[in-house]
Amino acid sequence: MGFNVEIKQWRAVAAWTWNAGDDVCGICRMPFDGCPPDGKYPGDDSPVVWGVCGHAFHLQCITKWLSAQTEQRCPFCRRPWEFKAAATAPVQEEPVTIQPQPHALQLPR
Amino acid sequence: MAGTQNRIRAQGPGTARKLTIKPLKSKPKLPEDFETTTWKKLQHAVHAVHGKQPVTVSLEELYRAVEDMCLHKMADRLYANLQQECNTHISAELEKLASSQTIDPVLFLQHMGNCWHDHTSQMLTIRSIFLYLDRTYVISTTGVRSLFEMGLQLFRTHLASHPQVERKTVQGLLQLIKAERQGETVDRTLLKHLLRMFTSLNIYADGFEQPFLEQTAQFYAAEGIQYMQETDVADYLLHSEKRLGEEYERCQQYLDSSTRKALVHAVERQLLEKHMPTILEKGYDALMAEKRVPDLGRLYSLCARIHALEALKQSFREYIKKTGITMIMDEEKDKDMVNLLLEMKANLDTVLHQAFQHNEQFANAMKDAFEHFINQRQNKPAELIAKFIDAELKAGNKGQTDDELEVRLDKALILFRYISGKDVFEAFYKKDLAKRLLLGKSASTDSEKNMITKLKTECGSQFTNKLEGMFKDIDLSKDIMTSFRQAKAVQAKLTDGLDMNVNILTSGYWPTYPTVDAKLPLELNHYQEVFKAFYLSKHSGRRLVWHNSLGTCIVTAHFPKGKKELSVSLFQTVVLTLFNDADSLTFAEIQEASGIEEKELKRTLQSLACGKVRVLLKEPKGREVDSGDTFLFNEAFVASLYRIKINSIQLKETVEENKKTNDQVIQDRQYQIDAAIVRIMKTRKTLSHKLLVSELLVMLKFPIKASDLKKRIESLIDREYLERDEANQNVYNYLA
Repeated sequence: MGFNVEIKQWRAVAAWTWNAGDDVCGICRMPFDGCPPDGKYPGDDSPVVWGVCGHAFHLQCITKWLSAQTEQRCPFCRRPWEFKAAATAPVQEEPVTIQPQPHALQLPR
Repeated sequence: MAGTQNRIRAQGPGTARKLTIKPLKSKPKLPEDFETTTWKKLQHAVHAVHGKQPVTVSLEELYRAVEDMCLHKMADRLYANLQQECNTHISAELEKLASSQTIDPVLFLQHMGNCWHDHTSQMLTIRSIFLYLDRTYVISTTGVRSLFEMGLQLFRTHLASHPQVERKTVQGLLQLIKAERQGETVDRTLLKHLLRMFTSLNIYADGFEQPFLEQTAQFYAAEGIQYMQETDVADYLLHSEKRLGEEYERCQQYLDSSTRKALVHAVERQLLEKHMPTILEKGYDALMAEKRVPDLGRLYSLCARIHALEALKQSFREYIKKTGITMIMDEEKDKDMVNLLLEMKANLDTVLHQAFQHNEQFANAMKDAFEHFINQRQNKPAELIAKFIDAELKAGNKGQTDDELEVRLDKALILFRYISGKDVFEAFYKKDLAKRLLLGKSASTDSEKNMITKLKTECGSQFTNKLEGMFKDIDLSKDIMTSFRQAKAVQAKLTDGLDMNVNILTSGYWPTYPTVDAKLPLELNHYQEVFKAFYLSKHSGRRLVWHNSLGTCIVTAHFPKGKKELSVSLFQTVVLTLFNDADSLTFAEIQEASGIEEKELKRTLQSLACGKVRVLLKEPKGREVDSGDTFLFNEAFVASLYRIKINSIQLKETVEENKKTNDQVIQDRQYQIDAAIVRIMKTRKTLSHKLLVSELLVMLKFPIKASDLKKRIESLIDREYLERDEANQNVYNYLA
């Protein structure tokens, strides 16, 4: 009866993207998965960050924006800007079963 | 000794005796007839010399006689008398020649030669006798020629008064030289002798050289025309080179060295300059096509002589363009295009180095020509070069050492350098690199990284950023997998003994893949979920998408004739596991159970049931899969090997994939054009169409048509980035 096929080894491929809803950064208008204008590499080297207001930008873009402003506000909703802690970023996936690693993303303080 | 002592004694003080010399009482006088008799003696001797008779008086006596006459201030008359004697003799000799009836010019030349020989040797003897005169009177008196010069002068005068003698001599000489040019052996000593005469008499340039050069030009003009018709180009060049050599030798052997330049020039002009355009037009391509390096080398050096290298370079360039274009445009030869181009390049290099002496301008011409023709066909050459490199770097490409591989890669890179649309290359290279990395088909990581370094030096780091990112992802994935395996809590959930390995890609680096859904076997689904949770717990703020089409598996399958290990794609695995519960399934059933999209499923089934290795059987039989087919487990499957690979379909490029890669490039170019337009307009605010286009052409690194630019500009106007100036339709304004 049949092959009785058993899978021994699996080489899977997955791609990750920033879970940032909108496709492009509201500041530089580049895709989140691409680089901001000053960035060289996409991905880990061009991280995306969220404010407590829920808006996401390239880290480089929002830092540049904030340093040019006297008041630290989100460029979208004008609410005071505060970085959302990484662990609570709006990832609504299945509950994680192992100990979370809190500093996956290094954020400037 | 004794004498000396006596003298000392005699010089004692006191009695000194003076020694006085008294003048002669009568002055000694020359005999009255001294001058006449002495001259008679000398005249006699001169006659003897001229008449080739032995001189009766000893030469020393004659010399003294001359000396005596000079001392007694008779030098001027002596000189005049001697001149008179010579004059008479030379006049008579040339008269003899002039009246000679010799018609045969060669014979006449011999007479002339003898006459000249006699003259010079006689003048030398006379000069020895009259040496004292030559050394005192001639030197101290201005306006008097030395004896030898006087002889030449007399010879010249009398020769001038007998023009037919000179004419005959010149004719004879020209005839001899012509005969030699036609391959006969001639008396070169005679030629040399007579030509020395011309030089000595100072009539070489006018008397001989001019008619000689005219004759040379005539001769070679006729020969050039005749040979051009009769022989092929290579022989013609060989002949010309031989001729030039002969003329050089002629200059060394008997012509005056001052003639060389004019002579060689005349030959070059007649044989080469006049015919070079025809030579290049008629024979150049054939020489190139037949790779006749020595002939080409000859052509080069001959062209260099006549300053025709520019024309040769032009032919070289045109030849490359012509052959290149036919090679590039022939779609049937696409498979071999890169190899053919490499071969062509190698041949051209040989010609350049061996025949054209590494001439830098020619190297540049070659580069120009390559850049010209290779970009005549859009995109395809770049794509094929990328694929060529892919084939070189792929695993299983054995039989060549690392050094050989390096050489081949470098060669391919040279072609790559000529390509102006490097983005096409990048796209295809990236796609192929992705497959090599993800399907584990790369021959060696060292070679891969080496290649990236080469591309980096060639195009800068901007170009290779993403490619390097891909390697970084592979390395990062390994780390993640290590920590995944070490996480005990996670591993506790995985009990099936399946070895899972995930490559996690950063989307921006890799080519975009369409997501092809499939219903995975339960165990795989479980693994997938566990891994995903693990990953996202480490990296928050991310999403993970599975690219099933790139997944591969190793499975064991139990056939009645033995257990086999199959290396298969994930989709193949999905299909095969369906047969765990059934011996026979229809296409529709498989589609339903696997959830794989129809086209992809057909490809998968074809590879399992219609390829070289058939683990499934298809009903009805055939090479193509139809949606009405039924598939059966192949019970009779046999194979000599235990491990069998049937996943090559993943490596193969599908038509859609190719189109997608090309489309991606076009899309990217549009973005780049848009960005460039906006960037320029933002700084300039207002710009005419013409200026904008020319700035764009400088800024953009890929080939573009002006019509494409126009479309992009219009699109930007529609999107209100720009507007046309109201006063002038050809001017754009930037809208902030």
